[in-house]
Amino acid sequence: MDVIWVNLPFLLKGAYYTLLITIISMFFGSIIAVIVAVARLKGNKFIRWMARAYVSIIRGTPTLVQIIIVYYGLADYGLNLQPLTAAYIALSISIGAYLSETLRGAIQSIPKGQYEAAYASGMSPYQTMRRIIFPQAIRVAIPPAGNTFIGMLKETSLVSVITVTELLRSAQLLIAQYYVYMPFYLAIALMYWIMSTGFSFVLERIEKRLSIYD
Amino acid sequence: MININNLSKSFSTLEVLKDINLQVNSGEVVVILGPSGSGKSTLLRCINGLEELTSGTIEVSNIVVDAKKSHKERNKQIKKVRLHTGMVFQQFNLYPHKTVLENVIEALLIVKKWSKNDAEIKGETLLKRVGLIDKKDVYPSRLSGGQQQRVAIARALAMEPDILLFDEPTSALDPELVDEVLAVIKELAQDGMTMAIVTHEMTFAQEVADRIVFMSDGVIVEEGPPEEFFSQPQTDRAKKFLKKM
Ligand SMILES: Nc1ncnc2c1ncn2[C@@H]1O[C@H](COP(=O)(O)OP(=O)(O)OP(=O)(O)O)[C@@H](O)[C@H]1O
Ligand SMILES: [Mg+2]
Repeated sequence: MDVIWVNLPFLLKGAYYTLLITIISMFFGSIIAVIVAVARLKGNKFIRWMARAYVSIIRGTPTLVQIIIVYYGLADYGLNLQPLTAAYIALSISIGAYLSETLRGAIQSIPKGQYEAAYASGMSPYQTMRRIIFPQAIRVAIPPAGNTFIGMLKETSLVSVITVTELLRSAQLLIAQYYVYMPFYLAIALMYWIMSTGFSFVLERIEKRLSIYD
Repeated sequence: MININNLSKSFSTLEVLKDINLQVNSGEVVVILGPSGSGKSTLLRCINGLEELTSGTIEVSNIVVDAKKSHKERNKQIKKVRLHTGMVFQQFNLYPHKTVLENVIEALLIVKKWSKNDAEIKGETLLKRVGLIDKKDVYPSRLSGGQQQRVAIARALAMEPDILLFDEPTSALDPELVDEVLAVIKELAQDGMTMAIVTHEMTFAQEVADRIVFMSDGVIVEEGPPEEFFSQPQTDRAKKFLKKM
């Protein structure tokens, strides 16, 4: 146990990076998701096709491969990204594809009558989307998106392969130093669990606050 | 107020409205009757541009929408038409994420860019008029169907339309809630509001209408004052329709 206590600050720093990567990728992934969902629903043929291809490719390939392509693959073309930057980019692109599908489904679940009421009152398609459809779609999308975010928190461990010292790699570095596995792996498993549970808790609170109108 | 000329409307190969000609004068209440599938909803929806015209013209408050004009041109006109018309739907279509008052004032804020204060004063006045001021901060899901429909009427009135369109405003309501909504509409009629109403409530139609328009299979088969239409319908189709009621 002592080895954990002594190295706790180092592990906490790893946990901090795990959280940071999760939150930043969530943020940019959400922006990508909105753009792609709207592109798939409202874009012209070419834009819709592009958006579909993006979603299909990302969902049909392992996240690990995507991360490696962004970090090592792009380096072949002289694009040498910092490991952390590569992690943000790869994970944002990845989560954006999954979230865009969630959001698209949520937008499509809003009844036609909502558009008609808004149009009949003189609102433009943009105003209708922004004021009437989106706020309702977000509420529909939040529970499944929450699950995606928690999945994301766990997937960040993949970026250890491109030498980002997040939680998993912190443990691996300590293991290389002390030659014991179990205490470190158990410690980080516990830390992942605490973070996931914390995330779930926050998401539940948000869901509750958004459901006041039901 | 409304002037419909040679309006036809098809959904791909199905011709739903055939050469419709109809006027609605200022202050007039026109009730549209007809069997299911005769095109009543489609006619109302053409008036405020929720459906595109296949051919013909519709003039509302001197704004002309012509099926022959370009898509862009028509959309511009439809946008103007919508500022002069209000619509009340069978399913109410209130915004579930907004309170009663927010529902009523949303378009005033977003479309007419009123200040929040002015809009709220107007919204509260309208909610008093439909008897729901005590529900102003409640979400629609907490209201009965009849109350929701009265909010929807207040929402339509907020934009001060020249004409109100009602598409079966009481068809989705439990029988005991129908009267409270009809009472509000009758009051509007007394206040001189121009209205086009699709309904299956015959007694109400008789009471409130200045003119009955009877549709069947996408054509206006018969029109006239309610006394005449209900006591001496001219066509077989109208006779058959009234017998079934
Ligand atoms: N979006 C649409 N696409 C294809 N057909 C449609 C569409 N909307 C309506 N129709 C058809 O047009 C015809 C007229 O429909 P409409 O809803 O106007 O009738 P209605 O007189 O309002 O009937 P009801 O009393 O049942 O409401 C029907 O045959 C209907 O199936
Ligand atoms: Mg109808």
